[in-house]
Amino acid sequence: MKHYEVEPQATIAEIKTLFTKTQGKSLKDEDVLQKLPVGTTATLFFRDLGAQISWVTVFLTEYAGPLFIYLLFYFRVPFIYGHKYDFTSSRHTVVHLACLCHSFHYVKRLLETLFVHRFSHGTMPLRNIFKNCTYYWGFAAWMAYYINHPLYTPPTYGSQQVKLALTIFVICQLGNFSIHMALRDLRPAGSKTRKIPYPTKNPFTWLFLLVSCPNYTYEVGSWIGFAIMTQCVPVALFSLVGFTQMTIWAKGKHRSYLREFRDYPPLRMPIIPFLL
Amino acid sequence: MAAVAATAATKGNGGGSGRAGAGEGGGTRKKKGPGPVATAYLVIYNVVMTAGWLVIAVGLVRAYLAKGSYHSLYYSIEKPLKFFQTGALLEILHCAIGIVPSSVVLTSFQVMSRVFLIWAVTHSVKEVQSEDSVLLFVIAWTITEIIRYSFYTFSLLNHLPYIIKWARYTLFIVLYPMGVTGELLTIYAALPFVRQAGLYSISLPNKYNFSFDYYTFLILVMISYIPLFPQLYFHMIHQRRKVLSHTEEHKKFD
Repeated sequence: MKHYEVEPQATIAEIKTLFTKTQGKSLKDEDVLQKLPVGTTATLFFRDLGAQISWVTVFLTEYAGPLFIYLLFYFRVPFIYGHKYDFTSSRHTVVHLACLCHSFHYVKRLLETLFVHRFSHGTMPLRNIFKNCTYYWGFAAWMAYYINHPLYTPPTYGSQQVKLALTIFVICQLGNFSIHMALRDLRPAGSKTRKIPYPTKNPFTWLFLLVSCPNYTYEVGSWIGFAIMTQCVPVALFSLVGFTQMTIWAKGKHRSYLREFRDYPPLRMPIIPFLL
Repeated sequence: MAAVAATAATKGNGGGSGRAGAGEGGGTRKKKGPGPVATAYLVIYNVVMTAGWLVIAVGLVRAYLAKGSYHSLYYSIEKPLKFFQTGALLEILHCAIGIVPSSVVLTSFQVMSRVFLIWAVTHSVKEVQSEDSVLLFVIAWTITEIIRYSFYTFSLLNHLPYIIKWARYTLFIVLYPMGVTGELLTIYAALPFVRQAGLYSISLPNKYNFSFDYYTFLILVMISYIPLFPQLYFHMIHQRRKVLSHTEEHKKFD
């Protein structure tokens, strides 16, 4: 048992910090004591991570919100638009299509959370659920307000624009789902192994040849499609913010792939082929 | 649910010492600092800014003496005020490229709020330019910036007179609330004119399916002062205690 020496005047607070001061990166639960890069004696530091919440719970909550909230605006429930518009329906086809796409997107995410994803970490800090839900729910309400507004203006290039946008959206949703399935198949149930992802027979996964995180690439693509479909600035802003965050995540993931695997394919970029 | 993370110390240094102090001066724990070229550039930058705000200060005094009243002095220092306050945007760049150890986010926030007041409120709403509240924040900013930039200049040259350090960490107690009062009153005065002219506002329907009400936005900005100002103010008070007592101890050992 490690002994710490302290002065008699040391306060309990100071003694506590001796236990909770961490240095360097966290170890993994699976690490074996013998295999750690330490000498004959190892000093372990512990840090209380604070209140935690499971990833599944966070995902389900943050995705269920936008699904529900968008529908409130779509059905024009009272107190959102003027009273003469209560429970009325838009006369624009694209508005109905947008509702279908937005709802499909979040239903897909909920189902993936329940049946597809295999999480490395069980939990995240509790405060994340408030931060994340504010982001998702807030943006969903903001977008839905304009798309379902009685004064909504359909896209400038009409059904041509909508058809193109829908095609982009569908392709990217299929792509995103294909990547999630490919990543799931990399890892047996209940394990936390990490392997380099490679293209499979599914053409959507061939994007792995060019990027480390094609799931993010496809996700950005989906939202760009939705922005073109609705021709709505808040959607474009949401896509931009999402793209920024996903780029940060992709770069981090790319870096840890490079660190962990010597033979990592050199052609791959984090999120945008050849560029970013 | 209690969760715990473990790290192991290797033999020798485990790395990860505390965060470098924010560029607010005070005792620098790690004397790493910028290289010689960056230091020379920063000294020039800070000297120029000190001079600029002195020009504004002198301009105010001269205008006051010439007019015989303190009303509508804004017009006499409008150009240097815009130039030097906007120039402070460079400080965001300094943090981004790492020659100044402050947080990019914090610096951006501080500079952008100043630039917002100068351009998006005072410049854009001509009717408020003759308000006394403008003088209130201009004086607060002028005194603060003269001290702040000379503080940085002397720090970079490793020769900081105590009086400057004292001024920087003491005068804010009065200047900060004074500036905030001036800013809030100015925004408040601008409101009716923004509403009237529909300034910077866009309404439905339009082909981008977007709307923005600048009047409401300004009200939200005013409300945001409520949580933000006390945090920043008490942070400075806390810094003051740390910085000024640190000097006292050093004096004892001289």
